Amino acid sequence: MAKKKLSFEEALETLEALAEQIEEGSVGLEESITKYEEGMKLIAQCRQMLSQAEQKIQKLQERADGTLEAKPMKRPKSDEPAAR
Amino acid sequence: MDAPVTRPPFNPELIPERPARAAPPAPNGTVTVSQVTAMVRRALADALPATLHVVGELSNFKRHGSGHLYFTLKDDASELSCVMWRSDAARMKFAPTDGLEVVATGKVEVFERAGRYQFYVRKLEPRGVGALELAFRQLREKLEREGLFDPAHKMPLPAFPRRIALVTSPTGAAVADMINTIERRFPCVTILLYPVRVQGPGAADEIARAIRAVNAKVESIGGVDVMIVGRGGGSLEDLWAFNEEIVARAIYAARIPIVSAVGHEVDVTISDLVADVRAATPTAAGELVVPVLDEVVAGVNALADRLSRGLASRLNIDRTKLAALSSRSAFRDPRAVVYRRDQLLDELAVRLYRRAVERSAHGRRRLDAVAPAVDRIAPHRFLLQRATQLQSLDHRLQALVTRLANAAERRLAAAMERLERVSPARTLPLLADRVERAARGLGAAQKHKARLATARLAAAEGRLQAVSHRSVLARGFSVTRLKKGRTVVRWLAGVEDGTRLVTQVADGEFESQVVNLTQLELFD
Repeated sequence: MAKKKLSFEEALETLEALAEQIEEGSVGLEESITKYEEGMKLIAQCRQMLSQAEQKIQKLQERADGTLEAKPMKRPKSDEPAAR
Repeated sequence: MDAPVTRPPFNPELIPERPARAAPPAPNGTVTVSQVTAMVRRALADALPATLHVVGELSNFKRHGSGHLYFTLKDDASELSCVMWRSDAARMKFAPTDGLEVVATGKVEVFERAGRYQFYVRKLEPRGVGALELAFRQLREKLEREGLFDPAHKMPLPAFPRRIALVTSPTGAAVADMINTIERRFPCVTILLYPVRVQGPGAADEIARAIRAVNAKVESIGGVDVMIVGRGGGSLEDLWAFNEEIVARAIYAARIPIVSAVGHEVDVTISDLVADVRAATPTAAGELVVPVLDEVVAGVNALADRLSRGLASRLNIDRTKLAALSSRSAFRDPRAVVYRRDQLLDELAVRLYRRAVERSAHGRRRLDAVAPAVDRIAPHRFLLQRATQLQSLDHRLQALVTRLANAAERRLAAAMERLERVSPARTLPLLADRVERAARGLGAAQKHKARLATARLAAAEGRLQAVSHRSVLARGFSVTRLKKGRTVVRWLAGVEDGTRLVTQVADGEFESQVVNLTQLELFD
């Protein structure tokens, strides 16, 4: 069984592989069902990742000690016509 | 203090500060060297314009340790020795080299101590091409030789970034374009803006510093998947920071993929060439770094469909396999089982007959053995009677065996005939053939009927198989299932004393409980 926290890209790759295995019929029926369930869990995870629609904009600033900090910021306004 | 007697090494930097020496008295009718030089100087100053633009070819170019430049401008006939002070040299973007055709701006003055005139250059421009353009070409050649544009060094962009860093000006259209584009296409990301100046003195240093900072401290800000470095359109001078070597090197050194988005489509900068990907505009950069959410969602849905369809077709294949299996001879043609029993019966009949013949032969042998004695005693008549009796017994035995065998055979034939009538193996092809012939005869409009017939055929198949199954039950076989789970009991595994069972017979089922469980020693 795959690890719990996959990146979106890894989840898609795993899903692709699962779909292929089920389609090819290279695994037993019992295993096909297990893989299907695993796939559906990943699908749910992917959908959840995509639905985190709250876009955040942060401002990076260098502190005096050279480290970086990220502060929330408002979206900058365009004060001239958009380039092309 | 007075100057030393020997001439100091040539150092033009000292020239402006050096006070003119008081000319020593000269004999009548003569002038001193200094006086001649002063006269020449005045004459030159009167005769020449304060500013000259001189066209020529660079040669003997030297950059002194002090930062001042010394070189000669020449044409086919003459040479002009030139000086360019450090402060003027520092403003120059391109690197002067021997052989370069240039336009030098400055003024001619006399270098009094050496007694020669020199051209003091304030500004040097390559001829026929802008200074910035030349500088761009020179840096491009240099970095290309060093491999900074090598495609092998370029990193692919992540397909689904979660965190995107922007190194650009916090104001203006460019940053808004980037953010709007990213937000519109793929809202589930975090954007980290590192504000920098993108033009003017110090801009290149700020940009390079920002790139290095994001790259080095990527963990402390929660990770960055891709960086966009850029600005909106402007003049070549405005974009210049992105043509500076320090920015190019910072981009090259970064381990995070970088998209360079500087100016408009037509503007190509050194940053664009070093970056992993060049975007024609800030908007294009946004389009390059993130996919369109709807398309990604559609992709995920397609995968979900594939999983479901894959499993469904998998189940269908297994169902077909099961059907094929259940139609295999043992299930489909029970006659085979009967034939085997038939053979056994034949063998038994033969053995029975042999035993009977043996018994009769044995009796005859015993009779033969006692015959001489009996002969002697001479109860002839009695013995003859017994022999006749024995013979008739022998006949009766033979007849009986034959009759038994015949009866068994007749019963078998009748059973087979009945089985043949119900066996789907025999009836199905006939039905199928009929349906097929009917379908062939039908017009296209009546295909529907053929389908109905096929469905009826399938139903008939079902019924026939049910009959066949029931007929097996009727022959005295039964199906025993665990009451719990209803799985068919084939072996003792899962059965123990007290287990509740449901047994199905031809006309119903009953429940029972296991007692005295005994395992057969079937194998060795």
